[in-house]
Amino acid sequence: MILKQRSLAGLVLALCMALLAACGGGTASPGNEYGGGGATTPAGGTSAEGVDRNRLSRELYFYNWSDYIDPDLLAQFEALYGVRVIVDTYDSNEDMIAKLRAGNSGYDVVAPSDYAVAIMAAEKLAAPLDATLAPNLVHLDPDLLDQPFDPGNTISVPYFYGITGIAYNARSFPEGIDSWAALFDTSVIAAYRGKFSMLDDERETPGAALRYLGHSLNETDPAVLQQVEALLIAQKPYLAAYNSADVNRKLASEEYVIAHAWSGSALQARSGLEGEFSGNPDIRFVIPREGGMIWMDNLVIVADSPNSYTAHVFINFLLDPEVAARNAEWTGFLTPNQDALPLLSEELQALYAEGFAPDDEVRQRLEWAIRNEQTAVFTDLWTVVKGR
Amino acid sequence: MIEATSPAAQSRPASRPALEQGRLTWGGLALTAYAVGIYLFLYLPIAILALFSFTRDQFGVRWTGFTLDWYVRLLANERLMGATVNTLYVALVSTFVATVLGTLLAMAMERYRFRGRTTVDTLIYLPIVIPEIVMAVALLAFSALAFDLIRLLTGETLRRSLTTVIIGHIAFSISFVVVVVRTSLKNFDRRLEEAAADLGANSWNVFWRVTFPLILPGVIGGALLAFTLSLDDFIISLFLSGPGTSLLPVEVYNKVRRAVTPEINAISTLMLVLSITLVVLSQSVQRKQ
Amino acid sequence: MALNTLERERQRRERRTLAALLAPGLLWLTLFLALPLMIILAYSFMTNGPRGNIVWQFTLGNYIDLFTRSIYVNAYLRSIWISILTTLICLLLGYPLALFIVRQPPRWRTALLFLVLIPFWTNFLVRIYAWQILLANNGLINGALSSLGLPPLTLLNTEGATLLGLVYGELPFMVLPIYAALDRFDFTLMEAAADLGASKRRAFWRVMLPMTMPGVAAGSVLVFIPTIGQFVVSELLGGAKVDYLGNLIQRLFLRSNPPNWPLGSAMAMAMMLALLVLILVYFRATTEENR
Repeated sequence: MILKQRSLAGLVLALCMALLAACGGGTASPGNEYGGGGATTPAGGTSAEGVDRNRLSRELYFYNWSDYIDPDLLAQFEALYGVRVIVDTYDSNEDMIAKLRAGNSGYDVVAPSDYAVAIMAAEKLAAPLDATLAPNLVHLDPDLLDQPFDPGNTISVPYFYGITGIAYNARSFPEGIDSWAALFDTSVIAAYRGKFSMLDDERETPGAALRYLGHSLNETDPAVLQQVEALLIAQKPYLAAYNSADVNRKLASEEYVIAHAWSGSALQARSGLEGEFSGNPDIRFVIPREGGMIWMDNLVIVADSPNSYTAHVFINFLLDPEVAARNAEWTGFLTPNQDALPLLSEELQALYAEGFAPDDEVRQRLEWAIRNEQTAVFTDLWTVVKGR
Repeated sequence: MIEATSPAAQSRPASRPALEQGRLTWGGLALTAYAVGIYLFLYLPIAILALFSFTRDQFGVRWTGFTLDWYVRLLANERLMGATVNTLYVALVSTFVATVLGTLLAMAMERYRFRGRTTVDTLIYLPIVIPEIVMAVALLAFSALAFDLIRLLTGETLRRSLTTVIIGHIAFSISFVVVVVRTSLKNFDRRLEEAAADLGANSWNVFWRVTFPLILPGVIGGALLAFTLSLDDFIISLFLSGPGTSLLPVEVYNKVRRAVTPEINAISTLMLVLSITLVVLSQSVQRKQ
Repeated sequence: MALNTLERERQRRERRTLAALLAPGLLWLTLFLALPLMIILAYSFMTNGPRGNIVWQFTLGNYIDLFTRSIYVNAYLRSIWISILTTLICLLLGYPLALFIVRQPPRWRTALLFLVLIPFWTNFLVRIYAWQILLANNGLINGALSSLGLPPLTLLNTEGATLLGLVYGELPFMVLPIYAALDRFDFTLMEAAADLGASKRRAFWRVMLPMTMPGVAAGSVLVFIPTIGQFVVSELLGGAKVDYLGNLIQRLFLRSNPPNWPLGSAMAMAMMLALLVLILVYFRATTEENR
């Protein structure tokens, strides 16, 4: 019995080797160098075609947000290319940048948010992106490409994006919600005192208040910020917590009835997080009529990565519509890959249609957070709010 | 390895009967009740953790029936298991080194008067007063500088790894060992050492036969503190670890902030059982000796 | 003459022993603590760049801000207050517990001491999270209350919950040193005091407490100081609604946009300096008494 299993395994192994050798032999032509010639355009991410196996490293270190990639995809990538992807996770862009700044971090690919891409560019922490090595770029939504934080996408590729609005439990709000007043109007929120949370983020929460007051979320006029401060301080006694960590779970378990939340965590609250908790069918998500925030996490190759080629292959793999669709199913965040959208499950497509993803009308109300020298005032504003 | 009772205490049999009597008074009873209350306080969350590692409830917050699924899942979770092994390795190595260095330092500080003693004192207390994040940033920046220097001098390219984490953990653990061991060295009856020396023991023997057994409770206390601190440290571990060498506190922090699953309860319960087993084993081995 | 050489020989040996005791630990602390801290000290006098990068331009602005702007001063005051409360409660719980353990028969003591420590070998965050399960709106305590027909209480995300978590997290750091001190305390002194007509209470205040003061001092310092710098407990149990010093420093280093390492460094430096002075004075005072 054991012998049989062994020989079977041996056979499979031998077959795989033969297959690998065939694939490798096919593409390891001497002309296939970095950016060399248009003859070797790598095809789809899920096939090993067009990839020079001799230039692949054995391992690739991906520094990512936690729960932000479907582990099965890593296995698939390894099976396809023989590259083991090791994922470490971080908790904020600043954690990640601090480690990269110290140099020689050992990471090859990171996933900075929009503004952090700009920082990485300015600090020369990112390697140039060779679009010829990532042909799957064509699948991305052009609206999300060429953003101010990386004009021309010279170093970054969109990975996931998200929108920030209100997640709520429909059983507590049968009428639905369409305004930030549900989180800021003290005559309303008194009814669910201690049962709602705002994001623990110095741009998100003041940003929501700014939109509620009818301003841009990048407004830095001191008089307006004074109002924001007053609004947040008035809200505080009713608040359960500033929470940007486990809003998903607390909504699902009904510890909160309503929360300021990212679309992704709202979706996780609704449909559950695989292997972690089951979803709550009553969770809804809305971008209030006053508007909300849009943000995007991107894939960037680290400047001192010795495995730039492998990193490109990995990024191209993640941009494959099928892969992107599976990844989006798993994480619950929104894929910028427009060709992946039709491949999503019916359930997810229905949820997107229901409001967990922005339609064209909602997009008009979304705004990117700009970070520059003026917006540093939000740190002080937040410190004041947290000091009360 | 563990003996919290010093020989000095055992050599005071006269004081014991009185104390045994004392336990029967109202005061003694009240003290016992108080202590039991504190133990309950300490173990309430732990009991909850252990209990909910067997619950079917996916949030791990309700009892909905018994299952061993979380343990099965945990054992299959290479990442968490690897992080646990890394964490235990770091804790054991750093505790050992910190205990040795810290005990030596404590001896020097208690037994000798020398120039610069206040400076050394200050240095020793530094890790106790320093916020973790500051030490983490300092060590991160320092490692970057040191690695650059090493590359310049030797051409060797170094990378942060478990070794850098251990170095950082030792740097903050030493102080805690010193503080606890010094408490043991105070009120230390040096006549015992002098008597041993008079009887012809050399200073090496005096240390191992007389001094060390007497300060052992302090040394153990210090080592336990160091071990606990290392197991729990998360920011320094996060900043000083290299790629692919994840540590349990870092994993747990990422999890706790997003969604704790009963898997985390399961690993905590296993660690608890493991440490209790180790304690019981070392106790029984010692008793036999 | 011969005595003189002997004496000199003895002194030389002493010096060599001292050097051997000091060198390894001192070297480690200098290299991996003092030197890295110099970097932070340097940062604290630098200017923050627009991307949270350090601009090497000398300024005293960080320290001036720290001591003049009420948002920072208040964070210090809040932290000191909650740390004092935490230390006092730990002392009230820890001293009797240590006393209880010391008074047990020797074979029980080690086990009881370990019982204090074992919970601390599970991850701190996980233990704090367990309190969340207990204290939440639909948590176990409120579940028990409602099954008794009582109205629910808001327990989680309050300052009380923060305090509870802090005490829970720091208690063994109080118990261990006090235990070490009590273990060395000669209990016959209490009988002697009783024989001399002192009441138990008086004997405790006049004999036992002063004699075990080094342990109390060490314990208080070990509890007070980490509490000043904590940030996780107030985040997980306090709902991140109030900034303590640790939260503020943490935020300045890793969360704010842009991060402000110079200001964070200055804040940490000021805090460390104050605590160092406190610790040195405290230890000196408590040790001199007992010499």
